[in-house]
Amino acid sequence: MDVVLQQFINGVTVGGFYALIALGYTMVYGVLKLINFAHGDLCILAAFIGLTVLTSGIGGADGGAMLVALAFIVAAIAIGIAGTVLELTAYRPLRKAPRLSAVVSALGASMLIENGIMLIWGPQVQVFPANLLPHLSWSIGSASISFVQLLIIGGSIALMAALYFYVHHTRFGTAIRAAAIDQDAARLMGINVNRVIASVFVIGPALGAVGGLFIGLYYREAYFSMGWIYGLNAFIAAILGGIGNIPGAMVGGLVLGLFNAFAAGYVSSSWQEAITFALLIAILLVRPTGILGERVAEKV
Amino acid sequence: MVATERRSRLAQARRALGPAIWLAGLLVPLLLGGSWISIMAIFAIYAIVALSQDIVLGRAGMYDMGHAVFFGVGAYVTAILNTQFHWPIFATWPVAIVVAALLGAALSAPIVKLRGDYLLVATIGFNIIFVLAMNNNVLGLTGGPDGIFGVGVPKLASYALSSQGALFYVDWLVLAVALVLMRNLERSRLGRVLRYVKEDELAATTLGVDARYYKILAFAIGAGLAGAAGTLFAVQLASVSPGSFVFTESVTLFAIVLVGGQASIPGVLLGTALMFVVPQVFRGLAQYRYFAFGIAMILVMVLRPQGIWPRRRSG
Repeated sequence: MDVVLQQFINGVTVGGFYALIALGYTMVYGVLKLINFAHGDLCILAAFIGLTVLTSGIGGADGGAMLVALAFIVAAIAIGIAGTVLELTAYRPLRKAPRLSAVVSALGASMLIENGIMLIWGPQVQVFPANLLPHLSWSIGSASISFVQLLIIGGSIALMAALYFYVHHTRFGTAIRAAAIDQDAARLMGINVNRVIASVFVIGPALGAVGGLFIGLYYREAYFSMGWIYGLNAFIAAILGGIGNIPGAMVGGLVLGLFNAFAAGYVSSSWQEAITFALLIAILLVRPTGILGERVAEKV
Repeated sequence: MVATERRSRLAQARRALGPAIWLAGLLVPLLLGGSWISIMAIFAIYAIVALSQDIVLGRAGMYDMGHAVFFGVGAYVTAILNTQFHWPIFATWPVAIVVAALLGAALSAPIVKLRGDYLLVATIGFNIIFVLAMNNNVLGLTGGPDGIFGVGVPKLASYALSSQGALFYVDWLVLAVALVLMRNLERSRLGRVLRYVKEDELAATTLGVDARYYKILAFAIGAGLAGAAGTLFAVQLASVSPGSFVFTESVTLFAIVLVGGQASIPGVLLGTALMFVVPQVFRGLAQYRYFAFGIAMILVMVLRPQGIWPRRRSG
């Protein structure tokens, strides 16, 4: 029973950052019908930027909570800007081009960011110091939840709630949803679709940046090539929930995190990724629109 | 009158250009040093794989981002049959082709109904599962992360094709066969059907084309050709390991077709040269290789969304 509870806590934690990253994929896909392959690498870039801030010594030895908050803010702003630059240079010129051209441009951007990280921070694994966060943990029965897990779960829920409110209860959020359903109709209704797309490339990467820094703090390491595997997992989460569907990405992240946590208990860890992809292929064959259904009006 | 004559002469010259370059390639082992012979051999092998990717992606229009699987299957079949069961290389070749083609048909059959992006993600999944299976040494045959060493050399009668030059000629000859096949595909009924299915599947279906059958067939042909190249690859390196067939390799093949030009034979060859030959010239800058590729991929797509050497409209 307690093993189950412990795996549940671990699964929800992992699900939290998968969901945060999945939101970036699903929002971009919603408005552009483009898999932004560079998104995972942007999120991991955030982990490196955050680590640089955390180890810079700003605020002295006991900067503590302020320093951690600063790391998240700097990473989110930097990645938000990077997302905008990416959209302006690599995607916007290709709006009218064949779809695959934008896919290759996204793959190129992914390669560029991944290897840019390697050139700046080096090819070796960067370790997050152990003393960045307090070593607290609370026991629930014989299971336990650590401070970093609580931070990730709480942070993800808060950010997702904020995004949900923004997208469903503000004028601009309504514009985002309208542009995702039908860009031309949205334009005719006076919505500035370019602004919607630009905003999606700020919000998605900024949320993903928080997710990426969570990954770094949770596993206490970052290396340049980890972007694509976390990116793929998050993208699978987006598909599980129904691509283009914002609440779906949250549900998909959670489901994938729990699936990984429990599957890992029963299957050799060397097969874990294979199990994730087997789940994905099974879902695609049985219910290609995901758990909550796809919000993108398109033939499957 | 003069203009038409000149145009036909131009067309003639253009038709002769490809074979002329191929013939010039035959001089490589005579004129260039050892490392360039193997670079050109690798180019020929990857050109065959890229052409096979083009059958699935550029001609049939299916977003296959796991093509390295079929290349890898060919290489592993040859390596396993040769090192464990002591088959001669040339005897393993048809098996490699058939196994890769059957796997292509079997894997694609359930997923060809999926729309573009979903097909793409499913094929990425196949690639990841394949590499994990090779890493985890399934059936005790694949050698795990280190792969299989000691793949033998092909023998013609009693003559062993062991030199770099001899292997190059084998690869170069197979490339020629692949090119002739691609040209024939372009002009055949099958090629036209695939183009029709790619451009407008619904219209093709209403004319009685069994789109599903032709999509699976395209996958099987592309996979079989990639498997044929896999045998050459195993022989060239005398070993196989999972690292050669990872997802990144599939991305590279995918990019070659799009950067060069879909369904364009010269485009695909040019793309292969850019990805595999040009980096050899700048070996001192190896660490910047993929960084530069990233920039180049974005630039080419922004400046020439149809690829560097797109397919001619009339063809």
